Order: sequence, then structure tokens, then C-alpha cells
Amino acid sequence: MNEILNQEKSIYLQISEMIENDILRDVLLEEEKVPSTNELAKFFKINPATAAKGINLLVDEGILYKKRGIGMFVAQGAKQAIKNKRKDAFYENFVKSLLTEAARLGIGEEELIKMIRQHGQQES
Amino acid sequence: MEQEETMSLKCENIVKIYQKKEVLKNIDLEIEHGKIYGLIGRNGAGKTTLLSILTAQNPATRGSVTYDGMPVWENQQALDHLCFSREINAVSPFGQNTMRVKEYLRIASVFYPKWDKQMAKRLTKLFHLDVQKRIAKLSKGMMSMVTVIVALASKADITMLDEPVAGLDVVAREQFYRLVVDEYAKTGRTFVISTHIIEEAADVFEEVVILKDGMVLCKENTQELLERSMHVSGNAHDVDAVCEGLCVYHEKKMGRSKGVTVVLEKGQSLPKGYDVTVQPVSLQDLFLAFCGEEEAI
Repeated sequence: MNEILNQEKSIYLQISEMIENDILRDVLLEEEKVPSTNELAKFFKINPATAAKGINLLVDEGILYKKRGIGMFVAQGAKQAIKNKRKDAFYENFVKSLLTEAARLGIGEEELIKMIRQHGQQES
Repeated sequence: MEQEETMSLKCENIVKIYQKKEVLKNIDLEIEHGKIYGLIGRNGAGKTTLLSILTAQNPATRGSVTYDGMPVWENQQALDHLCFSREINAVSPFGQNTMRVKEYLRIASVFYPKWDKQMAKRLTKLFHLDVQKRIAKLSKGMMSMVTVIVALASKADITMLDEPVAGLDVVAREQFYRLVVDEYAKTGRTFVISTHIIEEAADVFEEVVILKDGMVLCKENTQELLERSMHVSGNAHDVDAVCEGLCVYHEKKMGRSKGVTVVLEKGQSLPKGYDVTVQPVSLQDLFLAFCGEEEAI
């Protein structure tokens, strides 16, 4: 949860992504309580309404759920749900700009695939 | 039991003229309950004047200010809900300000019916403030801290702070934002904060009011304003094509390249298919775009 906020995108989106990242990294486990909107607001020095928006986004997506009077919790299956969501957005968020830049530089499909194969083996 | 949720501070057609100069020009503003507002504007834009008129510390030349429908002027019932914590000076109109901090706080406690003594004490300790010290002997930072203590401990429903962080170093500024956010989270009190140091505070403001030359340029939910604003740059040709018909500000050119700040109206969007770079803007960038001057240096 200790990432720094930047101005690249709306704060509430950064909040929800941070929580998602924590879930993916097992920093937050399923059925565990998530920091409250007030705690988040104080921690990041942001308006509580903004923190609430980020949390509510995850509630709407079924990644978090609310226990009345207690707080927000990580839903069962949240980790997989996040992976699926990000997989669907993978093209838009990562591949599209890669292809645009490759086109701009005249890097062809073959070369791209070669790059992926070479480094894919090294990284994994 | 009062319904605090519906009580708002409204000003209508406020005009303020100082020595033949129109400092505020037809201001219509509604400060709703339960939000943190940012009031930003250049020096001389009229921020302090506006805040003091809203809290009846200064009479408007024309126009009205009401709280929950009641006029605010000389109306203790309405004023009991408001607090205007302004900059303290080392020098009062009568010479050196020899009042001690604790006396100043005691006067504030009489002034504000909901004064929270415990909170004042806690904050004094937190800021390492020596209450025996005379105001004239305080550093600029310490004076700002006294202002902040009064604002927070007043527990007023609507609290205005005029440049509260001006004298504070970055560590103290961070403390301030945390305190305001914490107090707001606990009580839902309304805060109106005027500031020059825009970027740090931007995330704290639910709504931002931009004052320019005595007029309200813009009053909007901060995030919504930022979502419809962006910086477009690239080849001047392409930038012009993309921005056709849109509101652009702060054009900057260098050689064949051009950068502009675009603010979209409802329903507008940037046309696709052009090789331009589109980046989000910060509140500070936007403020500069709106209120900056194109001076040739």
C-alpha cells in the first residue's frame, strides 16, 4: 500500500489499483479487512470522498464487500477476478502503445515476436 | 435538532469596491455543507476579501450573504456557525502585538461557541507551541500554526482558512493536510481553504473555486475538472487540427512543436487518429493555464 500517488491518472483510480496490487501480492488476503476510507484519506492526504470512490469502485466490481458497521473486506475469489480484469485490459493498457511505438520505429511483427521470445525466456 | 446537512453559505451578486476599484465583481457562490473547498487565485484576485465578506468581517458594497437563508451580517445566530481564521500579524494597528498566544486562544474560545479546549491543547503540544510567547515574537511558521489551531479547535460548521500554510515548512504542511482530512473525516465539517501552494493541497479539495480578477472563473469538483482537462502537444499542425473548436489555453510554441492545455466541455472529446501526445494536467498546471500571463521576458 505504500506506493506514491502521481498525477498520471485520477486519484481514486490509483487507490483502487493500489488495493488490487496488494491483493495480487498477498499483502491483503481474501476475507481480510481493507483500510477504511478515513485511514486511506489520512495516509495519502487526500479527500475522504476520493478514497471512498476508489473503494466503491472495487465493491461494484465484487473485489471488495462491505460488512455493515465493521468495514470493507476482500471478497473470495478477488485475486482471480483482478487477474481476469487486468487480462481483459492488457491489450489496451500495454500492447496498444507497444504496437504504436513499434510502428513509428519501423519494427516489424517478426522482430517484435523475436524480442518477446528472447527476453521472455530470460525473464521467467 | 438542526439539519446541518442542508445549511449552506450563499453569496449573491457580491460586489466590493475599494477606493473606486472593483475588487470583487458579481460573485455568486454557494458553499455547501460537508465539503473541503479549495479557493485558489493569484495575489490580489480577491480571495481574502471574499472570505472576510462571507464571514461578515467586511461589508460588501452590494449583494447579500446568507447562511441557511439568514443574512450573515451582524447576525450572531449565523455567525456562530462560521469561523474565519486569518493570518496573524506581528504588528497590529496599535503597534507590536504583545498579546500572548494563550490569551489569543482564550479570546478565540469566547468567540467560537463550539470551541474545543482539548483539541486546542493537543494541537499546541503537537506543534511544540509555547503559549506563553508573545505573538510579536513568534516566527512566521508559529503564527501560521496558531491560525491553524484556531480554525480546527473552533469546531465551526463552516471554517475558512486564509493561506494557512504560507509560513509552514513542508513537514508542517503535511501535518496540516493530515489534520484537516482527519477532522473532516471525523466530523464532516466544511472547510474553505485559500492557498498559493496548489499542488500539495489539490488532492484534499473536493471542489475547487478559481478566482481571477475578482470573478469566479470556475467552481467545480476537482477530479471532474481535471478529467476534462489535458495537455496536447506535438507538431503544431496536428495540435491545431486536434484542438479545432475546443477551448485552449496557454499555447506554447517551440520551433515546429506546440503545446496547449485543452479543457473539454460536456460531450466534447479529442478526435482520434492524430499523432499528438496527450497528457493529464495537474491542478497547478491548469491554474497556470487559466491565470498565467504570457509575458515576454
